[in-house]
Amino acid sequence: MHITAKEEYFDEPACEHNGVAKDKKACKTATPGSSTGGCALDGAYIVLSPIKDALNIVHAPINCLGNSYNQRTSETTQRENYYMYGFTTAINENDLIFGSEDKLRQGIIYVFNRFKPKAVFIYNTCVPALTGEDIEGVSKELAATLKIPVVPVFSQGFSGNKNLGNKIAGDALFTYIIGRKEPEIDLLSDYNINLIGEYNIRGELFLIKKALKQAGINVLSTITGDATIEEIMYSHKAGLNVVVCSKALIYLARKMKEKYGLPYIEGSFFGLTSTNKAIMDIVNSFGDYELTCSAKKYIKIRTRNTEENIYEYKRFLTGKKALLYTGGVKSWSLVSALNDLGMKVIATGVKKSTEEDKLRIKEIDENGNIIMLDNGNPVNLIKIAREERVDIILAGGRNQYTAIKSLIPFLDVNQERFNPYTSYEGMEFLAKQIYFEIKNPLFKLLKESNINL
Amino acid sequence: MMNPIKNIEINPLQASSSLGAAMFFLGINNAVVLMHGAVGCASFDKVTLTKHFRENIPIVTTALNEYGAILGGTDFLTSGIKNIYEKMKPDFIGIASSGLTETSGEDIAGIIRDFKEKQDLPFSKIIYAGTPDYKGSLEDGYMQAMLALLEDFSGKETYKTFKKSKKLTKSVNVFCPVSFTPQDFLELREAVGYFDLKPVMIPDLGLSLDGHLDERGYLQTTAGGLGIKDLENIHNSEFNIVTGLSLGNAVKSISELTGLATYYFPNVCGLKNSDKLFNLLSELSGKEIPEKYKRQRRQLMDAYLDTHFYFLGKDIALALGIDLLDSFSTIYSEMGANLKIGISTKFSNDIKYRFLNFYEGDLDLLDNYRNVDLIVSNSNAGFYVKDFRIPLLKAGFPLIDEIGHGYKHYILYRGAVNLAVESANLLNKG
Repeated sequence: MHITAKEEYFDEPACEHNGVAKDKKACKTATPGSSTGGCALDGAYIVLSPIKDALNIVHAPINCLGNSYNQRTSETTQRENYYMYGFTTAINENDLIFGSEDKLRQGIIYVFNRFKPKAVFIYNTCVPALTGEDIEGVSKELAATLKIPVVPVFSQGFSGNKNLGNKIAGDALFTYIIGRKEPEIDLLSDYNINLIGEYNIRGELFLIKKALKQAGINVLSTITGDATIEEIMYSHKAGLNVVVCSKALIYLARKMKEKYGLPYIEGSFFGLTSTNKAIMDIVNSFGDYELTCSAKKYIKIRTRNTEENIYEYKRFLTGKKALLYTGGVKSWSLVSALNDLGMKVIATGVKKSTEEDKLRIKEIDENGNIIMLDNGNPVNLIKIAREERVDIILAGGRNQYTAIKSLIPFLDVNQERFNPYTSYEGMEFLAKQIYFEIKNPLFKLLKESNINL
Repeated sequence: MMNPIKNIEINPLQASSSLGAAMFFLGINNAVVLMHGAVGCASFDKVTLTKHFRENIPIVTTALNEYGAILGGTDFLTSGIKNIYEKMKPDFIGIASSGLTETSGEDIAGIIRDFKEKQDLPFSKIIYAGTPDYKGSLEDGYMQAMLALLEDFSGKETYKTFKKSKKLTKSVNVFCPVSFTPQDFLELREAVGYFDLKPVMIPDLGLSLDGHLDERGYLQTTAGGLGIKDLENIHNSEFNIVTGLSLGNAVKSISELTGLATYYFPNVCGLKNSDKLFNLLSELSGKEIPEKYKRQRRQLMDAYLDTHFYFLGKDIALALGIDLLDSFSTIYSEMGANLKIGISTKFSNDIKYRFLNFYEGDLDLLDNYRNVDLIVSNSNAGFYVKDFRIPLLKAGFPLIDEIGHGYKHYILYRGAVNLAVESANLLNKG
């Protein structure tokens, strides 16, 4: 049974943590008594749930899904919202004693008949993993009767963190979905790519797609923002995989490279410099003269246009100080976005960054002034922010109250962000939001009124 | 349909017992909640509670991994407690377990007892509530934590022999349900205070999660709530007030554990039930009902008259936890509204007669009633109102797509006015 996660997940040649970690398993440790991020289930659900014509069934007691569904901000073009529904078998005490495979089977058949999904993902969780239920068997049986992919996702939380969950989801797509169909000929152009790790938060994918299209690049499949099961099935027919902001899905890109010979690159669409670089990297990997010329021309126009639009904001923001605390790729890609605005990044969180991410920060940070924050402890964040007199903290939702309760301006750049921050339009949103947040007189008023601070 | 057996929760209304225990513990001052389970057990709850209350939520995890899950989680639990103590120095650590840790059958209470005995550090108060997620509801977990706390504080000899001190202000223990908004807590606290009684709210989510900018700025533990000192003196109070349908089963235990006379109200909503509460407070305190509430009572009667027109011939569906379902249906029934469907996480014979149809189940049951005029439920009911274009009055848990519900209250006379007016306006628009 799948009580333990595959050893393979922890041995990632493409990940710089590999070998550096003491026992090769550093990726899955967390300290008791701390408030860490989500578990493997969380990570897997994030990756798979944006697929808009599939249903996600969490095989678990009520707390794994019941306390926290319907909270993602991935957008789609489809009106029907069944993929956002929360489905769970809600394992109770009886199920624990008598087994709940039957319940799971009946549940899947019911939702299949009612919602007609193109695929069903079943998430295994801690309790059924411990009692040893045969999720794989149920999946196999139902895939045969229902004639759609019924995919077991072995995402029991005790196996590891969110990152591991991302990998497990990638593995599920690789094993059960990718390569199962060929694309219609008119879906292909000369330059087809897949975007991996882009979940269309607040419609960010739409902005990226728009820019890429105008630069001459066709996005064949997205894994998984606004995606259909079908487009992921034929994603192996693209010419290039572009891994956007998710180190954990490098695993999937590497697997696809091994099996289908599909090369991959990493890229980020946060900020002007990054967006331009990502587009050029994609273009260069196709090595086509005409494409290069048209992309360069497009980038030139868009850059000038964006710079005009953010001119006023940039004038105000130049020299302002920011503290950045976010994960992985964003730890450097947002640094570059903030530099685009003339801002000085005082510190950036690197707790979830790889060695390569850190190298990139150093590349961007020529003078070596940026503090690399390994300790995400809220008290530590506030201490640095106060000492360095930063003008704004950019971080995820969990740090929002840390910042604003300390009367420091704040912008959410993670999951709960209010606006899309990718591509050219995203740069404008980012500039505007930071500008208005720092300029807000509220913080001054409250500081004056709160004499003890 | 090919298979009529549903046997799956679609958009669950229920939440887990561990979340209920966590919410109880968050009502204690300078507290931290420790979830004994995998990292996700804490993180899912923390994320939802943060979005619901719009406050920092001090929940941490024991971060059980596969070795701990199989070989036992003692070390994870004890080092979790130690780390909390060293890093945050809370007065109180509330521990809730999860399906994972309870399935493996560990004696968590025993581990904590041993740990407490071996440590001679001035440790924080530590209370454990056994809350396996496969058993019980949000309300059960909350009650579990409440009783665990009372047992610990009443089990000590010193308390039993402690002589009642003659104090100027008499105190009253007030036990409220998990469905109370922070403002509900504050309103009830204020009302009791008007009778020259010092309210000891157990727990006090009003003082901890009402959303106030604390003068100390950002805090790692709860920024207010029931204090340990008050807790140590609960047996010294005059009497207990217990409200909440879900706490009905706890009344006997509360009375025994505190050794005090206990007065129980399934809810303190609407005209009649508010009357009962105020009359009791007046009787026991010897004080007359304050002018403020006499006025509010008259205002409620007027509001009922003004708003009842909007409800004529309209059907209302309620999908709420059992406490709010009871509270809201009390108010709606007083004004003669037609309650077509009541959905809750458990069945209740006490209140089912108020509804045309009463179910125990998930939010998806709303799918069968596309022609009601108003739905009262939490944020997750959004799926159904979007499709059917029915107005939604948002109440209950979780409320994550809107801000400000923590300031709303639905108890006592004024609370009933709030519900009547909000509902009437939505019915008018719909």
